[in-house]
Amino acid sequence: MNAPFFKYGLFGDEMSLVVAFGIGIAFGFFLERAGFGNARKLAAQFYFRDLRVLKVMFTAIITAMVGSFLLARFGFLDLSLVYLTPTFLGPQIVGGLILGVGFIIGGYCPGTSCVSAATGRIDGMVYLAGMIGGLLGFAEVYPRIEHLVKLTPLGQVTLAEQFNLPYGLLVFAVVLMAFGAFVAAEWAEGRIGGKAPDADSLLTPARKFGPARKFAAVLIALGLVAAFSGSPYRTALAQVDTRQLALEAGTKADHVMPAELADWIIEGRNDYLLVDVREPAEFAAYHIPGAINVPLAELKQDFARRNERIVFYSDGGIHAAQAWFLIRALGFPSVYMLFGGLEEWHDTVLNPAAPPADAPAKDQVDFARRVAVAGYFGGSPRRAEGPALAAPAPAAALPKLAPPPPAAPPVTKPATPAKKKKKEGC
Amino acid sequence: MCPMIEFTNFRHNPGIDPAMHIWGWEIPVYLFLGGLVAGLMILAGFRLLIMRPNERQAMVCCTVGPLLGLALLSVGMLTLFLDLEHKLYVWRLYLTFEPTSPMSWGSWILLLVYPALLANALAHLPEALPVVARRLPVLVTISDYMLARPRIVISTGLANIGIGVALGIYTGILLGALGARPLWSSAVLGPLFLFSGLSTAAALLHGILVLTTPDAERPEFADFLLSMLSRWSQARPLDTRIAPTLAQADNSFLTIELALLGLLLIGHLSSTAVHQQAAWLLLTGPYAAVFWVGVIGLGILIPLSLQHLELQHRIRHTIAPAILVLTGGLVLRFVLVAAGQASHWAPMLD
Repeated sequence: MNAPFFKYGLFGDEMSLVVAFGIGIAFGFFLERAGFGNARKLAAQFYFRDLRVLKVMFTAIITAMVGSFLLARFGFLDLSLVYLTPTFLGPQIVGGLILGVGFIIGGYCPGTSCVSAATGRIDGMVYLAGMIGGLLGFAEVYPRIEHLVKLTPLGQVTLAEQFNLPYGLLVFAVVLMAFGAFVAAEWAEGRIGGKAPDADSLLTPARKFGPARKFAAVLIALGLVAAFSGSPYRTALAQVDTRQLALEAGTKADHVMPAELADWIIEGRNDYLLVDVREPAEFAAYHIPGAINVPLAELKQDFARRNERIVFYSDGGIHAAQAWFLIRALGFPSVYMLFGGLEEWHDTVLNPAAPPADAPAKDQVDFARRVAVAGYFGGSPRRAEGPALAAPAPAAALPKLAPPPPAAPPVTKPATPAKKKKKEGC
Repeated sequence: MCPMIEFTNFRHNPGIDPAMHIWGWEIPVYLFLGGLVAGLMILAGFRLLIMRPNERQAMVCCTVGPLLGLALLSVGMLTLFLDLEHKLYVWRLYLTFEPTSPMSWGSWILLLVYPALLANALAHLPEALPVVARRLPVLVTISDYMLARPRIVISTGLANIGIGVALGIYTGILLGALGARPLWSSAVLGPLFLFSGLSTAAALLHGILVLTTPDAERPEFADFLLSMLSRWSQARPLDTRIAPTLAQADNSFLTIELALLGLLLIGHLSSTAVHQQAAWLLLTGPYAAVFWVGVIGLGILIPLSLQHLELQHRIRHTIAPAILVLTGGLVLRFVLVAAGQASHWAPMLD
């Protein structure tokens, strides 16, 4: 079984929320066991009386870091498919400050407030209610402040790329840094907070090799292994399994039907990347809304992030199929092509053919819906045989359609009017 | 622009299917409040019956519960009224009794609930709320009259239990009677809603007890509000000894509710294809996240384990399980009503 499980399709969108719930409950349970349901204990860190928040969080970070590095190195986890939050430096600094102020005033961070509410503390419940109110408020004003939220974009940044260091070495460095922080924390607790050192403290002379020390030794050893074990990312060559690719190409699982893509665009979905592999001149003449242009000759390993869902299209199907094979062989897991390419897009989405008058009612209803979709994309239906109703020659009419600017987001129109259109009967 | 499709019949006309999704928030809220009131009635009736003469302080179950029940049922009936298409014709429900119609049963049961709850509340009202009794001396007369005659007390208790069970089951039958929606066509819905109602009622009373118990960690403003309330009503403190019993009862109800949910789904999964499809709507379909997280996880399993730890004296009694159980009961009604309306017999035009 390969991880990340969601990206490899072990469960769908709905079940992923159920899995997230299970993980969240487990996370909350351990936070509670660490004493994080109590605002007094959380606030003690600001007075250096009890720095267990720092210790627990740093332990979690290095455990996850060493663990995922080694899992990736041994081939259980594909690190390049793990989602990284993009960095927007300015807004994230502001957000961090707001979070910190809220932490000091309320005594909780978002996760610990849930823990506190679940253990029945009324201040935790008030905090949680405030947080939900804040979320709703943010969602309401988001369209107006979206440009502020996306200032100073740096993309998806990792420390290793930033400092140009080997990944393993960085993992080891962070492990060492964490232990430096633990020692400094215990020193500060004793000197500033006036707390008596624990029996198992890292600062006291080592007479016994207690559990904390054993755990520390294991983590440092694993960090050392990581430092010398090379890159955790899979190489492109290791991925090519031509037999499997051939099997996949034989099925229709790699197709996206034009009508389906039209629905995605109308719904405003942003979980896919639509790539036009034709030449820039053709792209400028007409392209499907929301597409980006990467000519076939310029397709390289780094043209997109590997965890994107990518849909290729060209005029017919051949160039898209070539792009599919190339990118699939480079190890991208979810790559699709538009069935029939732009020609099929014109025939079924922009200029759907009217069914014959004696066709079953289901076809008539279906056609009524497709007419509404065609209207959304600026096309018009044609009769069963013969030219289009509005435009005489579909091919000649197409370039006249105003192409949206290349950088525009996939959907500029809210989904509601389009949905209304879909439901319209006669 | 669009071809003529007037000749379409059956469900091919796109105007038909969306119109079947006609129940909004009113019906689930009513089903939830109806179940909650049914649970409050059963608990109140039971408490009234098993009370010994020397432990008269049955305030939380026998006074607070029924009084809250009266208020909540009125809110529930208001939502039912809001859902009516022809609001002015509501009185016509009370001109007839149709034994084959669940709606008719329901409207008459709802009328009987009020006197039963009121009688239960009145039995101990003067000792529970002396300030009210002093203003209205007739309450003392009624209470004395009832308590002096054990038969009246016993029949009040039995009436509360009987009507409560009828009300709780009827909220499920109301959905179950509509065979056109496969998810609802199950006899398990009646007991399921009854036990869900009982668990929400026990959780509500437990939550009220916990809220009024003295507690060092409670914010001062809450203490202030509580002391104001008790000074104004001159009420005696609630009997907190019953809190563990309520938590225990709640755990039993939640366990039975979980088993009944399992039975409902097993029944559907071992039935025809449309029923299976209806069950998968909840299990893995578009309602799966809400069902597993809101109903099973937060609504049943988490409060079950929290109350189990409370009963073992491992953690304090808190209002967290009460809030979770009440929310879970509401979500159960919402998800069953929504998923039920999404399930249908002819899944051709999906």
